[in-house]
Parts: sequence; C-alpha cells; structure tokens
Amino acid sequence: MGALSFFKESVFADEYALQKGLLQSIDPRIKTITFLLFLVSVLLTKNIFVLLALYALCLLLTYCSNICPRFFLKRTWIFIPLFSLFIAVPALFSVFTPGDALLSVKIGGISIVITKQGLLGALLFVVRVTTAVSFVVLLSITTKHFELLRVLRVFRIPQIFVMTLGMCYRYLYLVVELVENTYRAIKSRVGTGIHYKKGQTIVAWNIALLWQRSYRLNEQVYNAMLSRGYTGEVRLLHDGNIKRRDWLWLSCVATLFIVMLYLTVSGKM
Amino acid sequence: MEDLIYELNDVHYSYLGKFPALCGITIKIRAGEKIAIIGANGSGKSTLLNMLDGLIFPSKGVIKAFGKEINEEGFRDEHFSRYFRRKVGLVFQNADVQLFCPTVKEDIIFGPLHLGVEEKKINERLNELVEMLGIKHLLDRSPHQLSVGEKRKVAIASTLAIDPEVLLLDEPTAGLDPLTIRHIMDFFMQATVAHKTIIIATHDLHFIEEISDIIYVFSPEKNIVRRGEALEILHDTALLEKNNLIHVHAHRHKDTVHIHPHQHLHHNHEK
Repeated sequence: MGALSFFKESVFADEYALQKGLLQSIDPRIKTITFLLFLVSVLLTKNIFVLLALYALCLLLTYCSNICPRFFLKRTWIFIPLFSLFIAVPALFSVFTPGDALLSVKIGGISIVITKQGLLGALLFVVRVTTAVSFVVLLSITTKHFELLRVLRVFRIPQIFVMTLGMCYRYLYLVVELVENTYRAIKSRVGTGIHYKKGQTIVAWNIALLWQRSYRLNEQVYNAMLSRGYTGEVRLLHDGNIKRRDWLWLSCVATLFIVMLYLTVSGKM
Repeated sequence: MEDLIYELNDVHYSYLGKFPALCGITIKIRAGEKIAIIGANGSGKSTLLNMLDGLIFPSKGVIKAFGKEINEEGFRDEHFSRYFRRKVGLVFQNADVQLFCPTVKEDIIFGPLHLGVEEKKINERLNELVEMLGIKHLLDRSPHQLSVGEKRKVAIASTLAIDPEVLLLDEPTAGLDPLTIRHIMDFFMQATVAHKTIIIATHDLHFIEEISDIIYVFSPEKNIVRRGEALEILHDTALLEKNNLIHVHAHRHKDTVHIHPHQHLHHNHEK
C-alpha cells in the first residue's frame, strides 16, 4: 500500500505544477528543450566545480519556482543512491581505480586502499548523477504531466502515439485505484497474515481480474470515442503560442550551453 | 412521418450470442419528444441506448434512424457516420469511460473537433457550456482529479459540445448527491437543451415526471411492458412494483410501524 501511495503521489501529483513560479510560467515545449540542454551540459563537463555550479543553478530555479526545498531534496535524494551507490562505491578502491593511496585499511589480512583518483572519480560521478536527477525531477514537478506528453509532438512523435500515451496516463490512475481497493477488500476480510502460497493465489486472481476489467474498459472507452466522432484519425486543437519570455529563457539557456560547450571542447574547463 | 427519428421494429440483442439483453423492442420516437425508459437493473436500458447511438446493432429486427436503417455496414460510409454522430449524443453511465482525455478541456472539445466543427465555433461552444454548467475552473484539470458530480457535468458538456439533436442519457443521476441532481435536472430544462429530443434511461423515479412526457417500462424479461404518459405510469403502483421499480417499505414513527410502497414520486414538488 505504501508503494502504491508513493507511486500515485509521484506520478499523479500536480501540486507544484499548478503553482505560480518561474518555471511554471514557461511554455512546456521550450522548458523541455532547455532542460535537455542542461542535461547535455551535465553529461559533457568533467569539472566538478562546473557541476556544482549547475546544481546550484538547479536549486536556484527550484527556489524561483516556489518549490519547498525540503520536498525537492527529499524527492531527488531518494533516487541518488539507487543510481550511483553501486557504481561509485567500488570505484573508490585501488582494485578498480589505481592511483595515489589516500587511506589504507587492513581487514582479515587483506589491505583495502582508497585512492585519491578513485575518490575524485566517485565524487564526480555522484555530483553528476545528483545534478542530472535534480534537473529531471525539477522539470517533472513544474510541468503538468499531460503537457509533458504533449511536448513529444515537438519531436515529431506521431499524434496517435501521443494520444495513446495520454490515455494510458489517464487510466493508469483508475487501475491503481482498483488495485488499492481490491487490496483493502482482501485486508478487510482476511487480514494481513496470509500464508505466502495463498497470497500467490490471491495475486494471480487479481492479475486476472485486472486484465478482465481493463479489457472491458478498453471496449467501453473505444465506444465512447466512436460516439463522439472518432474514426481512427486524431485531431487536435492548435497549441498555444510561444511568448516572448519563453524565447528569452531559451536564448539565455542556449547561450550558457554554447559557452560551456566551447570551454569544454577547447580544454579550458 | 417526417419528424420520425427512431423506428425500432421487433429488435432483439444478445451479448456473445447467448445472453439476451433486448427481446422484441418496438418503439417509434419523434423529434422533440422527452422519453424516459425505466426498468430495474439489467432490464436492457443501457443496451437500448447503445443501440440508439449506433454502437451495437440488433441480432434480429430492424432499427431505423432519420429514415435510414442503421447497421454496421451503414457506419462504414463516412458521410453517414459523421451525419449520425453530429445528430446523436450519448452521456454514458460511467463518466470515467467517457472522459478519456488528459484534461477536461480536451475532453469537451474532442467531439466537435473530430466531427469537423471549425475552431472558432468549438471555442464558443466550450465557453458557453462551461459557463452554463459552472465548470470553467475545471478546464485544465485532469478528469481523475474530479468528484463524481464534476465528472458527470463534464461528461454532459462533452456530449452537448457536439450540439446533437438527440440526447441520450444513461442513468445521469446515479451516485450523485441531491443538490447535484437538482443542478443537472435544472440544466436539462433550460431552453438551450429543452428543444432537443431527450431519451433518458433510469430507475430513479424522483425526477422523471418533470423531464419526460412519455415513459416506457422495461420488464426483467428485457422487453417493454407498458408505454404511457408520465403521470399515468407513475401512479400505477402495481406495475412499478411488479417490475422492481418500487418496493414495500416499512418504517417506524414512534410506536407505529407503517408499511407502504416506496417510490419518492412527489419530492420535487415539496415546498
């Protein structure tokens, strides 16, 4: 249940996207493009101070977008160990990164050495992951999810695909609720102390039931679409115009990106 | 007859070819009529509305709409399909089925957009409907974030955005609180909607007297057992009781126990 609630909160919460703030006011298409530029910059730079500066910029944008810093840090730092811990920790040791010994520990007669190069490499990796994840999280919490899907059209993804994704997102909530209610119904009748074998049977029943329900829902939704004139071809109303402030934002980020790219390529950074 | 919209002659329908849902339905519906189809759960009301909307077709018998027989073949003709969809709108019983777009606004404009209505007209209709139904503040919300009553209002707006001549309503008040029911009923009695042909399927007898002129009673055997004027049908308690539309109800007032048929007929006239 906890995992389901976390999933619902992460995927469907639009709380911050509905607030007024710097990033919320920028056109989602422009915002996504600029965040892609930020991500490329994060991936290209090998200088830890530049990465830290980009992370600081991300935190500043968070502040300007009226996002609670505690919420933002909690949301991003949940993912960091997941992405970096298993790669960064082994890189500390001389076995994987040979170099100048920084710290040496003997465990059971085996000498374990942490190298300076290993520590710097691991640190660079963790900061890079942290900054990249922070930018992605910032984009997702300041943009309504359906707008993010709509951005796919900028990249020439076929409209039918975008529409299908939108419908998936819409009905995912319904399915999650269905699972939640079924789980509650089971809990109210049999409690939580079920033998694992019986538990497996219940899970199998639920999967079958969910499939059946979603299959029926699929048919009904298609009928509802037909009823309102759908013939297999998706039509969309003209998207909103990009404003001057959006172009200004794009110009600033693009300039920053070009400068960083130049410094990286020329070896000055 | 020029004003004849639907003509059903001995229509049968069964799900998967073995579960009967409609058994020998014969009805004629004229333009501007307000019709209520009442019957207990599973009596075939929703199946009939789906058929009137050209979503399913009879296993036996003939259904004609606007003077033309409707069948699967007919809907392959793009011109007829578009003509029919512009004329008929169905509000589904389950609003979650009907609201499939990521936002309320997209859901409301889906119909007219796909039926080739020009953008300017679509925006006019959108603004008019959201004002009338009081749902302007919901336009950018996702349907899953709405309450049951709000979803129902959006579903009604999404059908009316097509501006159909015939409005089919499948249990429009099911699961709603009394105030929302009142709002929706008042809306259907407004001039912009009142001139339309309205066919409403329900087993809720609270409001049908004020919204319908003619009532068809469906039996558990999935056929029509009676057609008549609203008042005449609603006062035939034996007929309603036999078809599971009212029940004998016992309740206590101090020391006395009353037993009488329970049907909530005149609540809307109470002062």
